[in-house]
Amino acid sequence: MISLLKRLFLIIFINFIDQNFALLFSKIFIIIPLTFLAFSFYVYKSDKNISSLEAFSFGFFVDLISDSYFGLNTIIFCLTTYLINQNANSFKLFSYLQICLFFGLSASAYVGFSQLIVNLYDFSYTTLLLSLFANIIFCFVVALVASYYPQRLSIKL
Amino acid sequence: MARAAPTPGQKLSFIFFIILGSLFLYIDITSNNFKSIKNGFKSFKISSFYVVKEISIEPLKSIVNLSKSKSKLVEENKDLREALEISYINNYLVSKENIFFKDKEIIKKAHNENNYKFEYDIAYLKSIDPNMYKCCDKHRMYIDIKQNSDNLYVESIVFNTEGLVGQIIDESRFYEVLLLTDISHSLPVKLNSSEFFCNAKGSGRSEYIICTYNHLVWTKEIEENQIFYTSGLGGIYPKDIEVGHVSSIEIIDPTQTNIEIKLLANPLNGDMFGVLKY
Repeated sequence: MISLLKRLFLIIFINFIDQNFALLFSKIFIIIPLTFLAFSFYVYKSDKNISSLEAFSFGFFVDLISDSYFGLNTIIFCLTTYLINQNANSFKLFSYLQICLFFGLSASAYVGFSQLIVNLYDFSYTTLLLSLFANIIFCFVVALVASYYPQRLSIKL
Repeated sequence: MARAAPTPGQKLSFIFFIILGSLFLYIDITSNNFKSIKNGFKSFKISSFYVVKEISIEPLKSIVNLSKSKSKLVEENKDLREALEISYINNYLVSKENIFFKDKEIIKKAHNENNYKFEYDIAYLKSIDPNMYKCCDKHRMYIDIKQNSDNLYVESIVFNTEGLVGQIIDESRFYEVLLLTDISHSLPVKLNSSEFFCNAKGSGRSEYIICTYNHLVWTKEIEENQIFYTSGLGGIYPKDIEVGHVSSIEIIDPTQTNIEIKLLANPLNGDMFGVLKY
């Protein structure tokens, strides 16, 4: 129960940062979905498979707190969870670069999908492309920080 | 530890939840069915934000505001007191009850020009040693004059809202005022009837000056509570300004009598003064 509350508060906090950073980065056509990346990181780091119900619930909760359409985050969270669960063992063979590329690509896929739903008439390939690079770089930075300060980032969830 | 790949059952559940999510998404885009949930959550978010703010930030804010308003009030109070004191000093000069009016030379000009602004400057108390003032012979005070003109202030008279306080004797960073009660100070005084004149020296005691005379020369009978005025003979103080009243009379010997005059003004009352060049 405490662990669940901890995760919910963490999601709320990251979503709050996400929304504030989105305002800042939108001026330079970049979207970094921090909430999505945090959830993906949680699924990736988890010792056991994350259930579809948990992914659905988290997605639904993120939809609620981020005031987006119900189902938007739900679908992507479920899909990402399935992909990570499916390839959890394969990731162990991957290098950091490959994992970063995977997460960067999935983040830009999230951006593309959400832009298609919420911003169809103003869909921008510039945003998508810049977000792709920005997300991959962001994942690299996180991976670098994590490799240099492994204890700091080994958050027990 | 290795993670097991999703079983067909888990895959089905993922497919089910993805379809359910898609359904939600479709319903939400095409209809307003979830509007009440979203609005309810928004109102909860806003109200909980206000509740948390009310509990945590507002008490701190009110403390800060309280201290700010308090310091603002103190500042306003100080300004008002200053303005009030200046008006008292003005009143001291222009009041018709004040004996200052007896000096026609000062008042005539003001009356003729229908202008009650006397050419005096406002000074602020810089330092006075109350212990010295209460106990000892040397009674000095230092003031800072808010200069309106390039006047030389040495030998200017200093007064407060109650009356004369002393005269400026030195000009350096601040102006040194020789108080009436300093033993080196001498003030020519007289009775209102102009039948008696003498030099009142500072007693070295607060609020008292002593007038010594030979009653064989001045036969006029002096009584207690009689009021003394400046005679204007010294050339420093204007004449006919009320100085104080007789508090005691002491006959020292057949040729010497001391009259103790209690002064009207106490320099310790207030920290603003008027400086008048006469």
